Amino acid sequence: MADIAQKTSPDPGLAVRARQRDWNRYTQQAGLVICIVALGAVFYAINSLFGSGSNLIELLRSATLYFIVACASTLVLVGGGLDFSIGAIYALGAVVTGLMIVNGGPWPLAIVAGIAVGVAFGIVNAVVSVRLRVPPLIATLGAFFVATGLADAITSGNDVYGFPNSFIGLGAGGVGGIPYLIFYAVAAGLIFHVLLERTVFGYNIRATGGNRTAAAANGIRVERLDIWLYAISGGVSALAGILGAARLSTASPAAGGADLTFQVITAIIIGGTSLFGGSGTIAGSALGAILFAEINNGLQVINVDPLYQDIFIGVILVAAVALDQYRRQRRFRLSR
Amino acid sequence: MTSLPATRTPALQLRGITKTFGHVIALAAVDLEARAGEVLAIVGDNGAGKSTLIKIISGVYRPDQGIMEVEGAAVAPGNPAEARRTGIATVFQDLALVEVLDVATNMFLGQFPRRGWFIDRAAMDSESRAFLDGLGVTVSSVRSQVGMLSGGQRQIIAIARAMRAGGKVVLLDEPTAALGVRETGQAARLIRSLRDQGCAVICVSHDMSFVFDLADRIQVMRLGRVAGVRQASATTRDEIVGLITGSVAADPADGQT
Repeated sequence: MADIAQKTSPDPGLAVRARQRDWNRYTQQAGLVICIVALGAVFYAINSLFGSGSNLIELLRSATLYFIVACASTLVLVGGGLDFSIGAIYALGAVVTGLMIVNGGPWPLAIVAGIAVGVAFGIVNAVVSVRLRVPPLIATLGAFFVATGLADAITSGNDVYGFPNSFIGLGAGGVGGIPYLIFYAVAAGLIFHVLLERTVFGYNIRATGGNRTAAAANGIRVERLDIWLYAISGGVSALAGILGAARLSTASPAAGGADLTFQVITAIIIGGTSLFGGSGTIAGSALGAILFAEINNGLQVINVDPLYQDIFIGVILVAAVALDQYRRQRRFRLSR
Repeated sequence: MTSLPATRTPALQLRGITKTFGHVIALAAVDLEARAGEVLAIVGDNGAGKSTLIKIISGVYRPDQGIMEVEGAAVAPGNPAEARRTGIATVFQDLALVEVLDVATNMFLGQFPRRGWFIDRAAMDSESRAFLDGLGVTVSSVRSQVGMLSGGQRQIIAIARAMRAGGKVVLLDEPTAALGVRETGQAARLIRSLRDQGCAVICVSHDMSFVFDLADRIQVMRLGRVAGVRQASATTRDEIVGLITGSVAADPADGQT
Protein backbone atom coordinates (compact mmCIF):
# COMPACT_ATOMS: atom_id res chain seq x y z
CA MET A 1 0.00 0.00 0.00
CA ALA A 2 2.80 2.35 0.88
CA ASP A 3 4.59 1.64 -2.39
CA ILE A 4 1.52 2.64 -4.35
CA ALA A 5 1.35 5.91 -2.52
CA GLN A 6 4.92 6.57 -3.58
CA LYS A 7 4.42 5.35 -7.11
CA THR A 8 1.53 7.60 -7.91
CA SER A 9 3.39 10.72 -6.97
CA PRO A 10 0.65 13.07 -5.82
CA ASP A 11 0.55 16.25 -7.78
CA PRO A 12 1.14 19.00 -5.23
CA GLY A 13 -0.55 21.54 -7.47
CA LEU A 14 -3.76 19.57 -7.34
CA ALA A 15 -4.41 20.25 -3.68
CA VAL A 16 -3.96 23.95 -4.22
CA ARG A 17 -6.26 23.93 -7.20
CA ALA A 18 -8.82 21.92 -5.29
CA ARG A 19 -8.86 24.49 -2.56
CA GLN A 20 -9.24 27.16 -5.19
CA ARG A 21 -12.05 25.24 -6.80
CA ASP A 22 -14.79 26.63 -4.62
CA TRP A 23 -13.52 30.10 -5.35
CA ASN A 24 -13.18 29.33 -9.02
CA ARG A 25 -16.91 28.83 -9.16
CA TYR A 26 -17.26 32.43 -8.04
CA THR A 27 -14.57 34.18 -10.11
CA GLN A 28 -17.05 35.15 -12.78
CA GLN A 29 -19.24 36.56 -10.03
CA ALA A 30 -16.30 38.63 -8.77
CA GLY A 31 -15.94 40.01 -12.28
CA LEU A 32 -19.64 40.82 -12.28
CA VAL A 33 -19.44 42.64 -8.95
CA ILE A 34 -16.60 44.74 -10.31
CA CYS A 35 -18.62 45.39 -13.44
CA ILE A 36 -21.69 46.43 -11.41
CA VAL A 37 -19.66 48.74 -9.15
CA ALA A 38 -17.70 50.31 -12.02
CA LEU A 39 -20.83 50.93 -14.06
CA GLY A 40 -22.49 52.38 -10.96
CA ALA A 41 -19.55 54.72 -10.48
CA VAL A 42 -19.89 55.96 -14.05
CA PHE A 43 -23.63 56.57 -13.68
CA TYR A 44 -23.04 58.29 -10.34
CA ALA A 45 -20.33 60.52 -11.80
CA ILE A 46 -22.67 61.64 -14.57
CA ASN A 47 -25.70 62.10 -12.32
CA SER A 48 -25.38 61.76 -8.57
CA LEU A 49 -29.12 61.07 -8.33
CA PHE A 50 -28.20 57.53 -9.38
CA GLY A 51 -26.67 56.94 -5.93
CA SER A 52 -29.64 58.19 -3.91
CA GLY A 53 -31.21 55.72 -1.52
CA SER A 54 -34.59 55.84 -3.20
CA ASN A 55 -33.09 55.23 -6.64
CA LEU A 56 -31.03 52.27 -5.43
CA ILE A 57 -34.12 50.74 -3.83
CA GLU A 58 -36.05 51.30 -7.04
CA LEU A 59 -33.19 49.69 -8.96
CA LEU A 60 -33.30 46.59 -6.77
CA ARG A 61 -37.09 46.47 -6.86
CA SER A 62 -37.04 46.49 -10.63
CA ALA A 63 -34.81 43.39 -10.56
CA THR A 64 -36.97 41.39 -8.14
CA LEU A 65 -39.62 39.72 -10.30
CA TYR A 66 -37.15 38.73 -13.01
CA PHE A 67 -34.83 37.42 -10.34
CA ILE A 68 -37.55 35.29 -8.75
CA VAL A 69 -38.24 33.71 -12.13
CA ALA A 70 -34.48 33.37 -12.67
CA CYS A 71 -34.09 31.38 -9.43
CA ALA A 72 -36.25 28.57 -10.79
CA SER A 73 -34.82 28.84 -14.29
CA THR A 74 -31.30 28.57 -12.90
CA LEU A 75 -32.21 25.15 -11.49
CA VAL A 76 -33.60 24.12 -14.88
CA LEU A 77 -30.42 25.21 -16.67
CA VAL A 78 -28.12 23.58 -14.11
CA GLY A 79 -30.17 20.41 -14.55
CA GLY A 80 -29.37 20.47 -18.25
CA GLY A 81 -32.74 21.80 -19.41
CA LEU A 82 -34.08 25.04 -20.77
CA ASP A 83 -37.47 26.65 -20.19
CA PHE A 84 -38.52 29.19 -22.79
CA SER A 85 -42.14 29.28 -21.68
CA ILE A 86 -41.49 31.30 -18.50
CA GLY A 87 -42.46 34.68 -19.98
CA ALA A 88 -45.80 33.37 -21.25
CA ILE A 89 -46.59 31.49 -18.02
CA TYR A 90 -45.85 34.74 -16.15
CA ALA A 91 -48.67 36.42 -18.10
CA LEU A 92 -51.03 33.45 -17.99
CA GLY A 93 -50.65 33.00 -14.22
CA ALA A 94 -51.38 36.70 -13.73
CA VAL A 95 -54.53 36.77 -15.85
CA VAL A 96 -55.92 33.50 -14.45
CA THR A 97 -55.56 34.89 -10.93
CA GLY A 98 -56.80 38.31 -12.02
CA LEU A 99 -59.93 36.96 -13.71
CA MET A 100 -60.78 34.81 -10.71
CA ILE A 101 -60.49 37.81 -8.40
CA VAL A 102 -62.60 40.17 -10.52
CA ASN A 103 -65.23 37.44 -10.84
CA GLY A 104 -65.54 37.33 -7.08
CA GLY A 105 -63.11 34.60 -6.09
CA PRO A 106 -61.16 35.05 -2.85
CA TRP A 107 -57.68 36.21 -3.80
CA PRO A 108 -55.70 33.56 -1.87
CA LEU A 109 -57.56 30.86 -3.78
CA ALA A 110 -57.05 32.79 -7.02
CA ILE A 111 -53.30 32.86 -6.40
CA VAL A 112 -53.24 29.11 -5.81
CA ALA A 113 -55.15 28.59 -9.05
CA GLY A 114 -52.74 30.80 -11.00
CA ILE A 115 -49.74 28.92 -9.63
CA ALA A 116 -51.43 25.59 -10.37
CA VAL A 117 -51.81 26.56 -14.03
CA GLY A 118 -48.07 27.34 -14.14
CA VAL A 119 -47.20 24.01 -12.49
CA ALA A 120 -49.44 22.17 -14.95
CA PHE A 121 -47.66 23.80 -17.89
CA GLY A 122 -44.32 22.84 -16.35
CA ILE A 123 -45.35 19.21 -16.00
CA VAL A 124 -46.53 19.15 -19.60
CA ASN A 125 -43.20 20.67 -20.67
CA ALA A 126 -41.28 17.93 -18.89
CA VAL A 127 -43.46 15.10 -20.12
CA VAL A 128 -43.37 16.32 -23.72
CA SER A 129 -39.59 16.66 -23.70
CA VAL A 130 -38.92 13.38 -21.88
CA ARG A 131 -41.60 11.07 -23.24
CA LEU A 132 -41.97 12.42 -26.75
CA ARG A 133 -38.25 13.18 -26.95
CA VAL A 134 -38.87 16.73 -28.10
CA PRO A 135 -35.87 18.93 -27.20
CA PRO A 136 -36.72 21.22 -24.24
CA LEU A 137 -36.12 24.29 -26.41
CA ILE A 138 -38.90 23.21 -28.78
CA ALA A 139 -41.25 21.81 -26.14
CA THR A 140 -41.12 24.99 -24.06
CA LEU A 141 -41.26 27.22 -27.13
CA GLY A 142 -44.48 25.44 -28.05
CA ALA A 143 -45.75 25.95 -24.50
CA PHE A 144 -44.82 29.61 -24.80
CA PHE A 145 -47.21 30.08 -27.70
CA VAL A 146 -49.97 27.99 -26.16
CA ALA A 147 -49.78 29.91 -22.86
CA THR A 148 -49.65 33.28 -24.64
CA GLY A 149 -52.64 32.28 -26.75
CA LEU A 150 -54.58 31.13 -23.70
CA ALA A 151 -53.84 34.36 -21.84
CA ASP A 152 -55.07 36.36 -24.82
CA ALA A 153 -58.10 34.17 -25.36
CA ILE A 154 -59.46 34.20 -21.81
CA THR A 155 -59.02 37.98 -21.52
CA SER A 156 -59.93 38.77 -25.17
CA GLY A 157 -56.61 40.57 -25.14
CA ASN A 158 -57.75 43.09 -22.52
CA ASP A 159 -56.10 44.00 -19.25
CA VAL A 160 -57.79 42.74 -16.10
CA TYR A 161 -58.15 45.15 -13.17
CA GLY A 162 -60.30 46.04 -10.19
CA PHE A 163 -58.47 44.17 -7.46
CA PRO A 164 -58.99 44.57 -3.71
CA ASN A 165 -56.35 46.53 -1.86
CA SER A 166 -55.37 43.51 0.21
CA PHE A 167 -54.22 41.79 -3.00
CA ILE A 168 -52.60 44.90 -4.47
CA GLY A 169 -50.68 45.37 -1.23
CA LEU A 170 -48.85 42.08 -1.78
CA GLY A 171 -47.04 43.56 -4.76
CA ALA A 172 -47.17 47.29 -4.17
CA GLY A 173 -46.73 47.46 -0.41
CA GLY A 174 -43.64 47.71 1.70
CA VAL A 175 -42.27 48.22 5.14
CA GLY A 176 -39.87 50.93 6.26
CA GLY A 177 -39.59 52.27 2.73
CA ILE A 178 -38.50 48.88 1.39
CA PRO A 179 -40.95 47.17 -0.98
CA TYR A 180 -42.18 43.70 -0.04
CA LEU A 181 -40.93 42.55 -3.43
CA ILE A 182 -37.35 42.95 -2.26
CA PHE A 183 -38.06 40.72 0.74
CA TYR A 184 -39.68 38.12 -1.49
CA ALA A 185 -36.67 38.15 -3.81
CA VAL A 186 -34.22 37.76 -0.93
CA ALA A 187 -36.28 34.89 0.48
CA ALA A 188 -36.48 33.21 -2.94
CA GLY A 189 -32.74 33.65 -3.41
CA LEU A 190 -31.95 32.04 -0.06
CA ILE A 191 -34.37 29.16 -0.55
CA PHE A 192 -33.13 28.33 -4.04
CA HIS A 193 -29.49 28.76 -3.04
CA VAL A 194 -29.88 26.26 -0.21
CA LEU A 195 -31.89 23.95 -2.48
CA LEU A 196 -29.13 23.89 -5.08
CA GLU A 197 -26.07 23.83 -2.82
CA ARG A 198 -27.12 21.84 0.22
CA THR A 199 -29.88 19.38 -0.59
CA VAL A 200 -29.93 15.95 -2.18
CA PHE A 201 -32.29 17.43 -4.77
CA GLY A 202 -29.70 20.07 -5.66
CA TYR A 203 -26.89 17.52 -5.96
CA ASN A 204 -29.10 15.37 -8.17
CA ILE A 205 -29.79 18.42 -10.35
CA ARG A 206 -26.09 19.13 -10.80
CA ALA A 207 -25.22 15.51 -11.45
CA THR A 208 -27.99 15.18 -14.03
CA GLY A 209 -27.02 18.40 -15.79
CA GLY A 210 -23.33 17.48 -15.67
CA ASN A 211 -23.73 14.02 -17.17
CA ARG A 212 -27.24 12.73 -17.63
CA THR A 213 -26.15 9.24 -18.66
CA ALA A 214 -23.93 8.86 -15.62
CA ALA A 215 -26.62 10.17 -13.30
CA ALA A 216 -29.19 7.73 -14.69
CA ALA A 217 -26.74 4.83 -14.62
CA ASN A 218 -26.14 5.51 -10.94
CA GLY A 219 -29.76 5.45 -9.99
CA ILE A 220 -30.77 9.12 -10.12
CA ARG A 221 -34.31 9.26 -11.50
CA VAL A 222 -33.59 11.86 -14.13
CA GLU A 223 -37.05 11.93 -15.67
CA ARG A 224 -38.76 12.50 -12.35
CA LEU A 225 -36.20 15.24 -11.68
CA ASP A 226 -37.17 16.92 -14.98
CA ILE A 227 -40.81 16.94 -13.97
CA TRP A 228 -39.95 18.62 -10.67
CA LEU A 229 -37.70 21.20 -12.33
CA TYR A 230 -40.18 22.28 -14.99
CA ALA A 231 -43.07 22.20 -12.51
CA ILE A 232 -41.13 24.49 -10.17
CA SER A 233 -40.18 26.73 -13.07
CA GLY A 234 -43.82 27.00 -14.22
CA GLY A 235 -45.19 27.57 -10.71
CA VAL A 236 -42.60 30.20 -9.81
CA SER A 237 -43.07 32.02 -13.14
CA ALA A 238 -46.82 32.17 -12.57
CA LEU A 239 -46.32 33.41 -9.00
CA ALA A 240 -43.98 36.16 -10.21
CA GLY A 241 -46.58 37.20 -12.78
CA ILE A 242 -49.25 37.32 -10.07
CA LEU A 243 -47.04 39.53 -7.87
CA GLY A 244 -46.37 41.74 -10.89
CA ALA A 245 -50.12 42.08 -11.44
CA ALA A 246 -50.59 43.00 -7.79
CA ARG A 247 -47.89 45.65 -8.00
CA LEU A 248 -49.43 47.28 -11.08
CA SER A 249 -53.06 46.63 -9.98
CA THR A 250 -53.45 45.16 -13.44
CA ALA A 251 -53.10 41.70 -14.90
CA SER A 252 -52.09 42.10 -18.52
CA PRO A 253 -51.92 39.26 -21.06
CA ALA A 254 -49.07 41.24 -22.64
CA ALA A 255 -46.92 41.21 -19.49
CA GLY A 256 -43.76 39.12 -19.39
CA GLY A 257 -43.59 37.51 -22.80
CA ALA A 258 -40.51 36.97 -24.91
CA ASP A 259 -38.82 39.96 -23.28
CA LEU A 260 -38.95 38.31 -19.88
CA THR A 261 -37.84 34.93 -21.19
CA PHE A 262 -34.82 36.41 -22.94
CA GLN A 263 -33.85 38.76 -20.15
CA VAL A 264 -34.08 36.08 -17.48
CA ILE A 265 -32.05 33.52 -19.43
CA THR A 266 -29.53 36.22 -20.36
CA ALA A 267 -29.17 37.33 -16.74
CA ILE A 268 -28.61 33.71 -15.66
CA ILE A 269 -25.92 33.14 -18.27
CA ILE A 270 -24.20 36.44 -17.49
CA GLY A 271 -24.23 35.17 -13.91
CA GLY A 272 -22.04 32.23 -14.88
CA THR A 273 -24.54 29.39 -15.25
CA SER A 274 -23.60 27.06 -18.06
CA LEU A 275 -26.06 26.71 -20.91
CA PHE A 276 -24.90 23.09 -21.12
CA GLY A 277 -25.86 22.09 -17.60
CA GLY A 278 -24.06 21.00 -14.47
CA SER A 279 -22.83 24.29 -13.13
CA GLY A 280 -24.32 27.56 -12.01
CA THR A 281 -25.18 29.51 -8.89
CA ILE A 282 -28.15 31.48 -7.59
CA ALA A 283 -25.74 34.23 -6.47
CA GLY A 284 -24.58 34.59 -10.06
CA SER A 285 -28.15 34.87 -11.31
CA ALA A 286 -28.84 37.55 -8.68
CA LEU A 287 -25.87 39.56 -9.91
CA GLY A 288 -26.94 39.07 -13.51
CA ALA A 289 -30.41 40.35 -12.68
CA ILE A 290 -28.98 43.32 -10.77
CA LEU A 291 -26.66 44.21 -13.66
CA PHE A 292 -29.65 44.19 -16.00
CA ALA A 293 -31.64 46.43 -13.67
CA GLU A 294 -28.66 48.73 -13.24
CA ILE A 295 -28.22 49.21 -16.97
CA ASN A 296 -31.94 49.95 -17.40
CA ASN A 297 -32.08 52.27 -14.43
CA GLY A 298 -28.73 54.02 -14.94
CA LEU A 299 -29.31 54.81 -18.60
CA GLN A 300 -32.63 56.40 -17.66
CA VAL A 301 -31.06 58.42 -14.86
CA ILE A 302 -28.36 59.79 -17.17
CA ASN A 303 -30.96 60.44 -19.87
CA VAL A 304 -29.77 57.98 -22.47
CA ASP A 305 -32.52 56.89 -24.80
CA PRO A 306 -33.76 53.51 -23.49
CA LEU A 307 -33.58 52.28 -27.07
CA TYR A 308 -29.82 51.95 -26.62
CA GLN A 309 -30.07 49.61 -23.63
CA ASP A 310 -30.30 46.43 -25.62
CA ILE A 311 -27.01 47.21 -27.34
CA PHE A 312 -25.22 47.31 -23.98
CA ILE A 313 -26.89 44.12 -22.84
CA GLY A 314 -26.03 42.23 -26.02
CA VAL A 315 -22.37 43.16 -25.78
CA ILE A 316 -22.18 42.25 -22.09
CA LEU A 317 -23.83 38.86 -22.67
CA VAL A 318 -21.42 37.79 -25.38
CA ALA A 319 -18.42 39.15 -23.48
CA ALA A 320 -19.41 37.30 -20.29
CA VAL A 321 -19.83 33.97 -22.05
CA ALA A 322 -16.63 34.39 -24.08
CA LEU A 323 -14.73 35.13 -20.89
CA ASP A 324 -16.23 32.07 -19.21
CA GLN A 325 -15.29 29.79 -22.12
CA TYR A 326 -11.74 31.12 -22.10
CA ARG A 327 -11.44 30.57 -18.35
CA ARG A 328 -12.83 27.03 -18.55
CA GLN A 329 -10.51 25.96 -21.35
CA ARG A 330 -7.48 27.34 -19.58
CA ARG A 331 -8.37 25.59 -16.34
CA PHE A 332 -8.93 22.19 -17.91
CA ARG A 333 -5.92 22.41 -20.19
CA LEU A 334 -3.66 23.18 -17.27
CA SER A 335 -4.79 20.14 -15.38
CA ARG A 336 -4.46 17.42 -17.99
CA MET B 1 -9.75 -18.13 -2.75
CA THR B 2 -9.76 -19.29 -6.35
CA SER B 3 -11.32 -22.74 -6.10
CA LEU B 4 -14.65 -22.47 -4.42
CA PRO B 5 -16.74 -25.64 -4.44
CA ALA B 6 -18.39 -26.04 -7.82
CA THR B 7 -21.72 -26.79 -6.17
CA ARG B 8 -22.04 -23.26 -4.86
CA THR B 9 -24.48 -21.05 -6.73
CA PRO B 10 -22.56 -18.70 -9.01
CA ALA B 11 -22.86 -15.01 -8.23
CA LEU B 12 -23.87 -14.42 -11.84
CA GLN B 13 -24.96 -16.97 -14.37
CA LEU B 14 -25.94 -16.44 -18.00
CA ARG B 15 -27.41 -19.24 -20.05
CA GLY B 16 -28.10 -19.21 -23.76
CA ILE B 17 -27.92 -15.45 -24.15
CA THR B 18 -28.68 -14.44 -27.73
CA LYS B 19 -28.74 -10.94 -29.15
CA THR B 20 -29.16 -9.85 -32.73
CA PHE B 21 -29.05 -6.43 -34.33
CA GLY B 22 -30.96 -6.70 -37.60
CA HIS B 23 -29.18 -9.43 -39.52
CA VAL B 24 -26.10 -9.35 -37.33
CA ILE B 25 -25.95 -12.03 -34.65
CA ALA B 26 -23.92 -10.33 -31.94
CA LEU B 27 -24.27 -13.14 -29.41
CA ALA B 28 -25.38 -16.72 -30.10
CA ALA B 29 -26.35 -18.85 -27.10
CA VAL B 30 -23.64 -17.49 -24.83
CA ASP B 31 -23.14 -18.93 -21.34
CA LEU B 32 -21.19 -17.27 -18.58
CA GLU B 33 -20.56 -18.05 -14.96
CA ALA B 34 -18.97 -15.64 -12.50
CA ARG B 35 -18.22 -16.90 -9.00
CA ALA B 36 -17.80 -14.96 -5.80
CA GLY B 37 -14.17 -14.34 -4.89
CA GLU B 38 -12.98 -14.89 -8.41
CA VAL B 39 -11.84 -12.73 -11.33
CA LEU B 40 -13.25 -13.81 -14.66
CA ALA B 41 -11.57 -12.23 -17.66
CA ILE B 42 -13.45 -11.95 -20.94
CA VAL B 43 -11.18 -11.69 -23.95
CA GLY B 44 -11.77 -11.69 -27.67
CA ASP B 45 -11.08 -9.86 -30.87
CA ASN B 46 -13.04 -6.84 -32.01
CA GLY B 47 -16.52 -7.96 -32.99
CA ALA B 48 -16.36 -11.07 -30.81
CA GLY B 49 -19.35 -9.86 -28.81
CA LYS B 50 -17.58 -8.67 -25.67
CA SER B 51 -19.19 -5.27 -25.51
CA THR B 52 -22.64 -6.60 -26.34
CA LEU B 53 -22.24 -9.14 -23.56
CA ILE B 54 -21.16 -6.51 -21.05
CA LYS B 55 -24.04 -4.27 -22.07
CA ILE B 56 -26.51 -7.09 -21.48
CA ILE B 57 -25.09 -7.87 -18.05
CA SER B 58 -25.08 -4.19 -17.06
CA GLY B 59 -28.66 -3.64 -18.23
CA VAL B 60 -27.97 -1.40 -21.22
CA TYR B 61 -29.38 -4.01 -23.65
CA ARG B 62 -31.98 -6.68 -23.10
CA PRO B 63 -31.15 -10.09 -24.58
CA ASP B 64 -33.45 -11.57 -27.24
CA GLN B 65 -33.23 -14.95 -25.56
CA GLY B 66 -31.56 -16.51 -22.58
CA ILE B 67 -31.57 -16.45 -18.81
CA MET B 68 -29.63 -14.29 -16.42
CA GLU B 69 -29.42 -15.10 -12.71
CA VAL B 70 -27.83 -13.29 -9.79
CA GLU B 71 -27.18 -15.74 -6.94
CA GLY B 72 -29.70 -18.13 -8.42
CA ALA B 73 -32.51 -15.59 -8.83
CA ALA B 74 -33.57 -14.68 -12.35
CA VAL B 75 -33.06 -11.00 -13.22
CA ALA B 76 -33.84 -8.95 -16.31
CA PRO B 77 -32.50 -5.45 -15.69
CA GLY B 78 -33.92 -2.86 -18.07
CA ASN B 79 -31.30 -0.23 -17.31
CA PRO B 80 -28.01 0.11 -15.41
CA ALA B 81 -29.72 1.46 -12.29
CA GLU B 82 -31.92 -1.63 -12.12
CA ALA B 83 -28.90 -3.84 -12.67
CA ARG B 84 -27.20 -2.16 -9.76
CA ARG B 85 -30.18 -2.81 -7.53
CA THR B 86 -29.87 -6.49 -8.33
CA GLY B 87 -26.21 -6.34 -7.25
CA ILE B 88 -24.40 -5.78 -10.55
CA ALA B 89 -22.13 -2.73 -10.49
CA THR B 90 -20.54 -1.70 -13.77
CA VAL B 91 -17.47 0.43 -14.42
CA PHE B 92 -18.12 1.60 -17.95
CA GLN B 93 -15.36 2.35 -20.37
CA ASP B 94 -16.53 5.94 -20.59
CA LEU B 95 -16.55 5.85 -16.78
CA ALA B 96 -19.90 7.55 -16.23
CA LEU B 97 -18.37 10.22 -14.02
CA VAL B 98 -19.69 13.77 -13.80
CA GLU B 99 -16.71 15.92 -14.69
CA VAL B 100 -18.05 19.17 -13.28
CA LEU B 101 -18.55 17.61 -9.84
CA ASP B 102 -15.96 16.64 -7.27
CA VAL B 103 -14.54 13.26 -6.31
CA ALA B 104 -16.67 12.73 -3.21
CA THR B 105 -19.89 13.63 -5.03
CA ASN B 106 -19.02 11.22 -7.82
CA MET B 107 -18.26 8.46 -5.34
CA PHE B 108 -21.74 8.81 -3.88
CA LEU B 109 -23.65 9.56 -7.09
CA GLY B 110 -27.22 8.39 -6.71
CA GLN B 111 -26.64 7.36 -3.07
CA PHE B 112 -25.89 10.63 -1.36
CA PRO B 113 -25.72 10.49 2.43
CA ARG B 114 -28.55 12.62 3.73
CA ARG B 115 -29.93 14.27 6.78
CA GLY B 116 -33.55 14.68 5.86
CA TRP B 117 -33.62 16.68 2.65
CA PHE B 118 -30.10 17.90 3.13
CA ILE B 119 -26.91 16.37 1.93
CA ASP B 120 -24.52 15.26 4.65
CA ARG B 121 -21.52 16.83 3.03
CA ALA B 122 -19.16 16.21 5.95
CA ALA B 123 -20.02 12.50 6.02
CA MET B 124 -19.66 12.28 2.26
CA ASP B 125 -16.20 13.89 2.34
CA SER B 126 -14.88 11.93 5.28
CA GLU B 127 -16.24 8.59 4.07
CA SER B 128 -14.80 9.16 0.61
CA ARG B 129 -11.49 10.14 2.13
CA ALA B 130 -11.44 7.11 4.42
CA PHE B 131 -12.48 4.79 1.64
CA LEU B 132 -9.82 6.03 -0.78
CA ASP B 133 -7.17 6.01 1.93
CA GLY B 134 -8.14 2.47 2.79
CA LEU B 135 -7.50 1.52 -0.81
CA GLY B 136 -4.20 3.37 -0.80
CA VAL B 137 -5.49 5.66 -3.53
CA THR B 138 -3.83 9.04 -3.60
CA VAL B 139 -6.19 11.81 -4.49
CA SER B 140 -5.05 14.99 -2.85
CA SER B 141 -8.57 16.22 -2.14
CA VAL B 142 -11.97 14.57 -2.37
CA ARG B 143 -13.16 18.05 -3.33
CA SER B 144 -11.10 18.01 -6.52
CA GLN B 145 -13.22 18.37 -9.59
CA VAL B 146 -13.14 15.08 -11.54
CA GLY B 147 -12.57 17.02 -14.76
CA MET B 148 -9.18 18.06 -13.38
CA LEU B 149 -7.98 14.50 -12.73
CA SER B 150 -5.89 12.35 -15.05
CA GLY B 151 -7.41 9.44 -16.94
CA GLY B 152 -5.86 7.03 -14.46
CA GLN B 153 -7.19 8.83 -11.44
CA ARG B 154 -10.65 8.86 -12.99
CA GLN B 155 -10.47 5.13 -13.60
CA ILE B 156 -9.50 4.58 -9.99
CA ILE B 157 -12.39 6.75 -8.81
CA ALA B 158 -14.80 4.81 -11.03
CA ILE B 159 -13.60 1.47 -9.68
CA ALA B 160 -13.67 2.78 -6.14
CA ARG B 161 -17.25 3.89 -6.64
CA ALA B 162 -18.26 0.42 -7.80
CA MET B 163 -16.52 -1.01 -4.73
CA ARG B 164 -18.20 1.42 -2.41
CA ALA B 165 -21.60 0.69 -3.90
CA GLY B 166 -21.00 -2.87 -2.76
CA GLY B 167 -22.15 -4.93 -5.74
CA LYS B 168 -22.02 -8.72 -5.63
CA VAL B 169 -20.88 -8.66 -9.23
CA VAL B 170 -18.52 -5.96 -10.45
CA LEU B 171 -18.16 -5.60 -14.17
CA LEU B 172 -15.20 -3.69 -15.60
CA ASP B 173 -15.04 -2.72 -19.26
CA GLU B 174 -11.42 -2.32 -20.42
CA PRO B 175 -10.24 -1.02 -17.06
CA THR B 176 -6.70 -0.39 -18.30
CA ALA B 177 -7.50 1.12 -21.68
CA ALA B 178 -6.53 4.66 -20.71
CA LEU B 179 -3.91 3.86 -18.09
CA GLY B 180 -0.17 4.10 -17.84
CA VAL B 181 2.00 1.39 -16.28
CA ARG B 182 1.78 2.64 -12.69
CA GLU B 183 -1.93 3.26 -12.89
CA THR B 184 -2.48 -0.19 -14.35
CA GLY B 185 -0.75 -1.61 -11.29
CA GLN B 186 -2.99 0.38 -9.04
CA ALA B 187 -6.10 -0.74 -10.91
CA ALA B 188 -4.95 -4.38 -10.64
CA ARG B 189 -4.53 -4.00 -6.92
CA LEU B 190 -8.05 -2.56 -6.58
CA ILE B 191 -9.48 -5.44 -8.58
CA ARG B 192 -7.71 -7.97 -6.35
CA SER B 193 -9.07 -6.34 -3.26
CA LEU B 194 -12.56 -6.44 -4.80
CA ARG B 195 -12.09 -10.17 -5.32
CA ASP B 196 -10.77 -10.67 -1.81
CA GLN B 197 -13.87 -8.95 -0.45
CA GLY B 198 -15.84 -11.76 -2.07
CA CYS B 199 -17.11 -9.97 -5.16
CA ALA B 200 -17.42 -11.76 -8.43
CA VAL B 201 -15.30 -9.64 -10.75
CA ILE B 202 -15.79 -9.71 -14.51
CA CYS B 203 -13.16 -7.91 -16.47
CA VAL B 204 -13.19 -7.31 -20.22
CA SER B 205 -9.70 -6.58 -21.47
CA HIS B 206 -7.43 -6.61 -24.49
CA ASP B 207 -4.35 -6.48 -22.30
CA MET B 208 -3.03 -10.06 -22.10
CA SER B 209 -0.42 -9.44 -19.44
CA PHE B 210 -3.06 -7.74 -17.32
CA VAL B 211 -5.41 -10.69 -17.87
CA PHE B 212 -2.82 -13.31 -16.94
CA ASP B 213 -1.68 -11.26 -13.99
CA LEU B 214 -5.16 -10.99 -12.58
CA ALA B 215 -7.67 -13.53 -13.82
CA ASP B 216 -8.61 -16.80 -12.17
CA ARG B 217 -10.52 -17.92 -15.21
CA ILE B 218 -10.49 -16.67 -18.78
CA GLN B 219 -13.49 -16.82 -21.10
CA VAL B 220 -12.63 -16.40 -24.77
CA MET B 221 -15.27 -14.98 -27.11
CA ARG B 222 -15.10 -15.44 -30.85
CA LEU B 223 -17.68 -14.37 -33.45
CA GLY B 224 -20.47 -14.08 -30.90
CA ARG B 225 -19.86 -17.47 -29.30
CA VAL B 226 -17.87 -18.80 -26.38
CA ALA B 227 -14.69 -20.28 -27.84
CA GLY B 228 -13.57 -21.65 -24.49
CA VAL B 229 -13.22 -21.11 -20.77
CA ARG B 230 -9.91 -21.88 -19.09
CA GLN B 231 -8.42 -21.76 -15.61
CA ALA B 232 -5.69 -19.13 -15.91
CA SER B 233 -3.29 -21.42 -14.07
CA ALA B 234 -3.93 -24.28 -16.48
CA THR B 235 -3.55 -22.54 -19.79
CA THR B 236 -0.98 -20.63 -21.76
CA ARG B 237 -0.96 -17.35 -23.48
CA ASP B 238 -0.56 -19.19 -26.79
CA GLU B 239 -3.69 -21.24 -26.23
CA ILE B 240 -5.75 -18.16 -25.34
CA VAL B 241 -4.46 -16.21 -28.32
CA GLY B 242 -5.16 -19.24 -30.49
CA LEU B 243 -8.74 -19.38 -29.25
CA ILE B 244 -9.13 -15.67 -29.92
CA THR B 245 -7.86 -15.89 -33.49
CA GLY B 246 -9.42 -19.26 -34.25
CA SER B 247 -6.11 -21.09 -34.83
CA VAL B 248 -6.99 -23.26 -31.84
CA ALA B 249 -10.36 -24.96 -32.38
CA ALA B 250 -13.16 -23.73 -30.15
CA ASP B 251 -14.66 -26.07 -27.57
CA PRO B 252 -17.90 -27.83 -28.54
CA ALA B 253 -20.95 -25.63 -28.32
CA ASP B 254 -21.90 -26.70 -24.81
CA GLY B 255 -18.27 -26.68 -23.76
CA GLN B 256 -18.52 -24.45 -20.78
CA THR B 257 -18.69 -27.18 -18.18
